[in-house]
Amino acid sequence: MRRGLISWSRDEVPLSVLEGRVVRLQERMRAAELGAVLVYTSFARPSAVAWLTHFVPYWNEALLVVFPTGAPVLLAAFSKRVHDWIRSVSHLGEVRSAPDLGRATAAFLKERPPQPPRIGVLELDTLPWPVAEPLVKSEYGRGLVDATGLFASIRQPADEVEIRLARRAATIAVQTFKAIPTEAKHASELLSALERSARLDGAEEVLPRLAPDLRADATLRRLEGDALLGERYAVELSVAYKATWVRITRCVSTQAVPPSWRGAADRFVETVERLNEANLSLEPQFGPGKTVAWTLETCRGSPPLSIVATGETPSPLALPGGSLACLSLQLDLDDGPWLGGAPLILGSGGQPSRLLIS
Amino acid sequence: MSGNPGNARAERRTRLAAAMAEEGIDVLVVAGNPWRSDYLRFAADITPVEGHAFAFIEREGPARIIVESPSEAARLRSEQAELDVRWSLSAIEETETAIRELGKRRIALAPLAAVPYRLAMGPLVAGIARATALLDRLMLRKSPSEIAALRRAAVLADEGYTVFREAARVGRPEYALVADVEAFFRSRGCPENFQILGSGGREVRGMHPPTERRLAPGDLVTTELTPCVEGYYAQICRTLVLGEPSEPQERAFAVYDEALEAGIAAVRPGATAGDVARAQNEIFRRHGLGDYVTSEYTRVRGHGLGLYVDGRPALLEDVDLNLEPDMTLIVHPNTYHPEVGYFVHGDSVRVITDGCEVLTRTPRRLFSVPLA
Repeated sequence: MRRGLISWSRDEVPLSVLEGRVVRLQERMRAAELGAVLVYTSFARPSAVAWLTHFVPYWNEALLVVFPTGAPVLLAAFSKRVHDWIRSVSHLGEVRSAPDLGRATAAFLKERPPQPPRIGVLELDTLPWPVAEPLVKSEYGRGLVDATGLFASIRQPADEVEIRLARRAATIAVQTFKAIPTEAKHASELLSALERSARLDGAEEVLPRLAPDLRADATLRRLEGDALLGERYAVELSVAYKATWVRITRCVSTQAVPPSWRGAADRFVETVERLNEANLSLEPQFGPGKTVAWTLETCRGSPPLSIVATGETPSPLALPGGSLACLSLQLDLDDGPWLGGAPLILGSGGQPSRLLIS
Repeated sequence: MSGNPGNARAERRTRLAAAMAEEGIDVLVVAGNPWRSDYLRFAADITPVEGHAFAFIEREGPARIIVESPSEAARLRSEQAELDVRWSLSAIEETETAIRELGKRRIALAPLAAVPYRLAMGPLVAGIARATALLDRLMLRKSPSEIAALRRAAVLADEGYTVFREAARVGRPEYALVADVEAFFRSRGCPENFQILGSGGREVRGMHPPTERRLAPGDLVTTELTPCVEGYYAQICRTLVLGEPSEPQERAFAVYDEALEAGIAAVRPGATAGDVARAQNEIFRRHGLGDYVTSEYTRVRGHGLGLYVDGRPALLEDVDLNLEPDMTLIVHPNTYHPEVGYFVHGDSVRVITDGCEVLTRTPRRLFSVPLA
């Protein structure tokens, strides 16, 4: 439960871009005859509200109420004295104190009745029950509908602003990999260096996962305590910069880089180039090595990244060309496992996908 | 910093199994996510990093887990080989199906804070509050191994504050201080820390995540550090001055120090959470600062510590929960001071039979950081 720098730069994320996203949502709401859309946010699910308003909760929870016209209202379970900070990092019409978020939302809807009385809820199935229950029991209970598809329909492809933020996040990650101490023997030394570098570079968040001894086990782990680093290890960095997340995975060898890894890296690039909106599958594949697992993720709702396709799911979800996504790939090479991952812009109209940064 | 996590896991499961038997529960379904991972950690010793996670806890045998991604599933299997872990893009739907397949067994769903709408709309809704209360009771009083983890977290909190003091220098941005502290915690194998801070003068009304603001001479720099060991959080709150403290800053410190002393002195079995809050607030009222212990300026006068950074009970005057031995709390009279701005001061404590044991050891001083 950690957050680094949270700030809003109007140059990087212009007010007009945030307002434009809200307007797109409102257009879809009107077409769907929704009188309001409710978007929940918490430390674990910050991305939808952040995309619309630039607000990222460092703890606690809040609910964004979007009406068919006008600026969104944030009902925040934070104490009032935090409102100035909330306003300093986000673009909102109104911020209201809502210690009991569910009841406060029901009361707010009574005060500002949505017209028409149908209310869309992003990811309704996942809404925490203390928030949902008062709504279910309110006069709008029967009018609650899931707005996940509606929101997803405007969320991707990514706009230029989001791509720039993602590129910055990816650059932070790449610089962070460069901070890996060459002599590190323990995971704690490595993680400490990664943490410092990413945060000094302005990361809002960095979540490292580590396979400390790649030849023994390629599972990326969240470490509590410490572990000895093997001769080869792998690091996955999930980095957020101004609410935009990317995931990058790299293998590290304390000896000379194995030639097989160069081939694997080339294969990764070729794989990315073959992906496009019409083809979200990695098969068939050409060497080197055997594909063990792969995952394509994007942001289309409140989780920072969620799965679009994996090697284990037969039917990938649709994703439009121009979407920002992250590909993670695990190969079994002749001399052991290899892991790679990078953000990409999904190709469209027969054009190949391209890596966000080379 | 490692203890023996296996001991804590086994101890918790034994206590949970006994409580489930007492309540007549065959299977407890526990929901969680990275924001509310505490109940899952207690029941199944797992900490989700991304997405929803659900644990099916039977009174005997390993837990069954459903998560949302293959990487989370692989990670949990590698952490506890005995777990039966599945993943699904629709983990909630999968959980709903798994509950249905349990048939006529006595099933309960918890905790209230993390149960999603879809599961709560099912047949288990009526039992959520009772099952949550069962877990809350178990999580309030800590076992010896839980106390041991909290002690180690408190040591880290003290050490982390030393790092923070060294990092706080004129001209550095707030986020650089957090970078130093997080790097230190990582170097000690600590994966989680909740930290907020503030810097400046009278205009500062609270703490927040770090900003780009650069520290300036005369600033009060506040922080709340909350490192985590084996899932258990300990917290420390301190305030420092960049340069020599002014007279108003010294006067303000004296009030907060007196309030913290009074709060800690009130912590004992039989006292209520409200008594501890009242003891602190009375000091402010006596100094003519009663307005500043209202919700306009502050939130709570402390709170429970354990597997969640802001646990039960909240230390507020109207909370009548009785304190019992081996509850763990942070006592912190943090609030705005009209002359100097937001000020924090707090220590982690454990309730013992005749009072409390203070777990954090950093001196209670208004620290001064030289300008040069």
